[in-house]
Amino acid sequence: MAVTAAGEPLPGQFLTLRVSPFSDPLLRRPFAFSSYRRASVGRGARAGIVYQLRGGATRLLAELAPGSRVDILAPLGNSFPPPAEGETPILAGGGIGLGPLLFLAAALSEAGGPIAPRLVLGVRSASLLPSIPLPPGAVVCTDDGSSGFRGTPVDWIAANAPEGRVRLYGCGPAPMLVALAALAAARGWGASLSAEQWMACGVGACMGCALPRADGSGYLRACSDGPVFEASEIDWAGGR
Amino acid sequence: MKPDLRVSIGGLELANPVGLASGTFGYGSEYEELVDVDALGALYTKAVTLAPRTGNPVPRIVETPSGMLNSIGLANPGVEAFIAGKLPGLRGRRCAVFVNVAGATEEEYLEVLERIEAAAGTGPRAGVDGYEINLSCPNVKHGGLAFGTDAAQIERLTRALRDRTRRPIVVKLTPNVTDIAGIAKAAEAGGADAISCINTLVGMVIDVGKRRPVLAMGSGGLSGPAIRPVGVACCYRASRAVGIPVIGLGGIMSSGDALQYLLAGARAVQVGTGTFVDPRCAMGVLGGIEEWMRAQGVERIQDIPALLEV
Ligand SMILES: Cc1cc2nc3c(=O)[nH]c(=O)nc-3n(C[C@H](O)[C@H](O)[C@H](O)COP(=O)(O)OP(=O)(O)OC[C@H]3O[C@@H](n4cnc5c(N)ncnc54)[C@H](O)[C@@H]3O)c2cc1C
Ligand SMILES: Cc1cc2nc3c(=O)[nH]c(=O)nc-3n(C[C@H](O)[C@H](O)[C@H](O)COP(=O)(O)O)c2cc1C
Ligand code: FES
Repeated sequence: MAVTAAGEPLPGQFLTLRVSPFSDPLLRRPFAFSSYRRASVGRGARAGIVYQLRGGATRLLAELAPGSRVDILAPLGNSFPPPAEGETPILAGGGIGLGPLLFLAAALSEAGGPIAPRLVLGVRSASLLPSIPLPPGAVVCTDDGSSGFRGTPVDWIAANAPEGRVRLYGCGPAPMLVALAALAAARGWGASLSAEQWMACGVGACMGCALPRADGSGYLRACSDGPVFEASEIDWAGGR
Repeated sequence: MKPDLRVSIGGLELANPVGLASGTFGYGSEYEELVDVDALGALYTKAVTLAPRTGNPVPRIVETPSGMLNSIGLANPGVEAFIAGKLPGLRGRRCAVFVNVAGATEEEYLEVLERIEAAAGTGPRAGVDGYEINLSCPNVKHGGLAFGTDAAQIERLTRALRDRTRRPIVVKLTPNVTDIAGIAKAAEAGGADAISCINTLVGMVIDVGKRRPVLAMGSGGLSGPAIRPVGVACCYRASRAVGIPVIGLGGIMSSGDALQYLLAGARAVQVGTGTFVDPRCAMGVLGGIEEWMRAQGVERIQDIPALLEV
């Protein structure tokens, strides 16, 4: 999509969009940025999202003609922190959690850190693999073994992680985030996980997108305190 | 001729009739970059309770046909943190600020109001111009709803609050009652300066696959366009039952929606869920009301209700 105003998004940040001027679907829908390209001579800035057909809003989105205008608020939320020195970045995506990790992988490669990022994508079956190119060295996992590694990204990482310090970056369904948080805790790794929660305002005003803190002391907002959290901050299993 | 958009609530003059509804705009700073709050008539803060409240378990929101359910559970930092952390920012506001007060017992309402009164002082730029008393939040197990449905209790609580402040008191009513006119009269008898209606309607969505309610609390409060006809009817009835101004809200997305409320008898309106959908919704509502008044040759907001033909 073409970018006209607002600031430049960072990997992990999201936008909210309103696909219809009518009242059903009503609320804006959040989507993570999957790419961003700065404007250059003769070329406007462009940003991307990767989305999955789920219900009313995503169906309307899919029906939009190229060049249509949509109402977007962005960039929102925080972003993935860079890996610390000596940390191997491993990016674990489940299903549509792929989007923000593609953006992160591109940014890390562009930044040219000493250790190349490794993307591990999990889907239920080969037929659900997104039709977009994955970065070099990406690992595909399928639950049914119909393509790549049979198992989840968490299984693959547990079996294949390099020696030394790792930073996990995760985005995907809640059970995967729970497993990533547990793996990181067991291995003493850092982990930055992007949360998904229903949102109403997207800017921190309504407290609707709350996620329970791991220490039981209350809640954090997915939209404005996150969506990216250190794994140990959140009770990932208590979010829905 | 430029229409006169000012409205008066208990002697407090609002620059125009459009406000931002409690719980949908935080304490004013969250939407700072997107909305010029000071161009609006009033900001109604998120509820303030005596003790901090972390809020209800999650999920807390779910979309419904032309609406949404929420069970936020009055999450707020509590009155002391409000005074220390939010009041200073509100002192800089040029629009009127109504602090939304909630409690589980009568004593809690009084204590919250007394503490804010003491902190705000009596000078200009107090950070609070009035109070909106949330008698009607359906999310708190003990309190809120019980108050909002009992006329005698509403009158007594309103009178006790009245004795403790000279600032305008707006009593916010729930539509979850059989006789909204009687409730409105009780608030007026207790000394309220205005009534706002409506708060959310109790609703539930069940996930059939999981065979359990989507919201962790089971039910929540329904808001958005789905409740607009209920709100308009409540305003119509309440404004005919009392002499004090009625502030209408529930599902306002456009100036046409707001004008339904004004024609039904409201003196002012609030935009809630509409801000989630479009942060500039309230600005559009305000512009549209002014345009309509100009086109119709209506000079003052309070002249609008008389235009309704029934
Ligand atoms: C920070 C963030 C980033 C996201 N990034 C992406 C992305 O990059 N690509 C993508 O495809 N999706 C993303 N999502 C999820 C996306 O917002 C939902 O898929 C979308 O709102 C579905 O709308 P719908 O009307 O098509 O479906 P609906 O009919 O509204 O919902 C269908 C089902 O999707 C789930 N769902 C709907 N909305 C949400 C929500 N806000 N949060 C969690 N689950 C929801 C529910 O289980 C629901 O039953 C993200 C969500 C968040 C919070
Ligand atoms: C997320 C959310 C939080 C709310 N919190 C409060 C609150 O703290 N106090 C209150 O009096 N009303 C609260 N309300 C009710 C609104 O102020 C308003 O009465 C209701 O949503 C109907 O208006 P709307 O359809 O324009 O949103 C809340 C509503 C929503 C959607
Ligand atoms: S969606 Fe409103 S606070 Fe996060």
